[in-house]
Amino acid sequence: MNGSDDFLTAQHLRKQFDGITAVEDVSFTIRRQEIFGLLGPNGAGKTTTIRMLSTVLSPDDGEVTIGGSSVTREGDKVRQVIGVCPQELALYPELSATDNLVFFGRMAGLSGRDAKEAASDNLERVGLLDRARDKVDNFSGGMKRRVNLAIALMSRPQLLFLDEPTVGIDPQSRNHIFETVEALRDGGMTVLYTTHYMEEADRLCDRLAIMDHGEIVVMGTPHELKSEIGDPADVTLETVFLELTGRSLRD
Amino acid sequence: MLRPLHIALLEVKRYVVSIQELAFSVALPIVLFALMYGAFGGEESFHATAHVVDLDQGSHSRALINQLDTLDEITVRERTLEDADQALERSAILTAVVIPAGFSDGLEAGEPIAITFKKRGNGGDAGQIVEAIVRSAAQQMAGEAQVRAAVGSVLSGTDITRVTIDSVVSRRLSESRQSPSISVETKWLGGEESSPTDRLVPGLLVMFLMFAVTMNAQTLVEERQNGTLERLMTTRLGVNQLFAGKFMAGVLRAVVQALVLLALAFAVLRIGDIADFMELTVFSALVAMAVSAIGLVIGSVARTRDQAIWAAVFITMFMTVFGGTFFDLTGAGPLDLLSRFTLTRYAIDSMFGMLASGQTLAGQGIGIAVHVGVAAIALLVARTMFKVAGGGR
Repeated sequence: MNGSDDFLTAQHLRKQFDGITAVEDVSFTIRRQEIFGLLGPNGAGKTTTIRMLSTVLSPDDGEVTIGGSSVTREGDKVRQVIGVCPQELALYPELSATDNLVFFGRMAGLSGRDAKEAASDNLERVGLLDRARDKVDNFSGGMKRRVNLAIALMSRPQLLFLDEPTVGIDPQSRNHIFETVEALRDGGMTVLYTTHYMEEADRLCDRLAIMDHGEIVVMGTPHELKSEIGDPADVTLETVFLELTGRSLRD
Repeated sequence: MLRPLHIALLEVKRYVVSIQELAFSVALPIVLFALMYGAFGGEESFHATAHVVDLDQGSHSRALINQLDTLDEITVRERTLEDADQALERSAILTAVVIPAGFSDGLEAGEPIAITFKKRGNGGDAGQIVEAIVRSAAQQMAGEAQVRAAVGSVLSGTDITRVTIDSVVSRRLSESRQSPSISVETKWLGGEESSPTDRLVPGLLVMFLMFAVTMNAQTLVEERQNGTLERLMTTRLGVNQLFAGKFMAGVLRAVVQALVLLALAFAVLRIGDIADFMELTVFSALVAMAVSAIGLVIGSVARTRDQAIWAAVFITMFMTVFGGTFFDLTGAGPLDLLSRFTLTRYAIDSMFGMLASGQTLAGQGIGIAVHVGVAAIALLVARTMFKVAGGGR
């Protein structure tokens, strides 16, 4: 799995909180210019995994390299090549969309002029250029989600983490995000995408891993996963997901 | 290198972007100042206007008016008799002092003369005090004139010239005024002479600066709760840069409020000159540094906004109540001792010293050392305790 095309390599990741295991022996790779899906029910360990990959959490055990740099030992280098779009709307609602983007651009190391240019480009990319000066607080849920994504793009990342970027938004905004992510991939970006929506994963992801109870239970292309339980033409990814993770409710 | 500045500017932008919040934060010090001034400011030293009609226009009447004008308690306003009568008639004034024609000549001759106090009703409280002050000054002047006349009379017919007599008598009288045989000594309970506003201004100022504890405690927790803190930590921003930015923002916000209060105090109460204003502003910035750093300690430890607010409110209240914010606790036994464990005590002692005792900023060694020391230690503690996320960096 350690081919030269691999942009991210995670090996035997492990993380515990107060004696409770959140992630256990997780290993996977993400190839350059690939959309890699990380699926799993609530509490499966997806977000903890992303937080370790994005240098926010230190793994108790295991090793991650991104673009050849170790996440634990070369965090500064890693942070130069990643962009993170978290599950929550991590923005400043009292400020305008432009102000939010420019600020995070400056934090990513862009000059004032570059940050303004990048803010314009990214707002146009997510279809919000005409609302650039409006306060984010006045935006709809879908628009806020798109601003959340645009902020993640401000650092011009090579690897983009998208943690459930389409939660609670209308089909139009969701579709806009799909198209944006596909365009980013086509432009050369590598994407790690987590979602609860199986049809989303089926449409977007080149490969995906399903996590449960902190472990990866299966990994492959959507076609390969569906093939494991039947004819891919008849089986949905949701069936695979339920088959592997069970039907009991999760919190 | 500029990232901390951008963090600070973002904080300021978030602070000023809401006109309502900004107006409230600026208006609050003004309203509180007005309330406190109403409560304590009214206890200022006595001051009134003496409405004087000088019908004499002689050297002694002028000397009396000049003498009255030098007194701190009195401002002299000269009026014509007609004007004074009309003002009394419509109760615009309640007492007028009339120096009669021939006042100066009578004094020179050592003859009895009368000053008239025209009153509306009982003349009002201030009028009665003005009357007593004028009476005292006039009697002293009359006494000195009588001495001059008596000495002149005794020495008339001798070789001593009138000019020499006047010169010697004037010198002796002046010496007598400088070193009176009966002197009056005033002792103020609780220490030095001070106006209530000398304590009111530092008290209000420090109280508002203390609010920076709550503001700064919240900012880290809010960013942690809404996810921006974690997001910031995935950028090239270092944790130390984040702290520097938050610290600068806290100081800046507190200093802006302090400037509003100080400008108000200096404009309304005329408590000092521009140098005092500058020195108090600089000292306020030192206090702001210490309280902002304490706020960051709370923000680093607290996990929820409520925890941060309650911890900050407790610390602010403790320091305000037990630090002698509006009342001097020197010599107050256990309270005096307790107050020495608060920043408020050192802040107010220094500011009071600069305002009321003529001390300079350079003379506030203890106050400066305490605030800079607390700021440095608190920043170190805050940075040590801070975690972006449980189990993280």
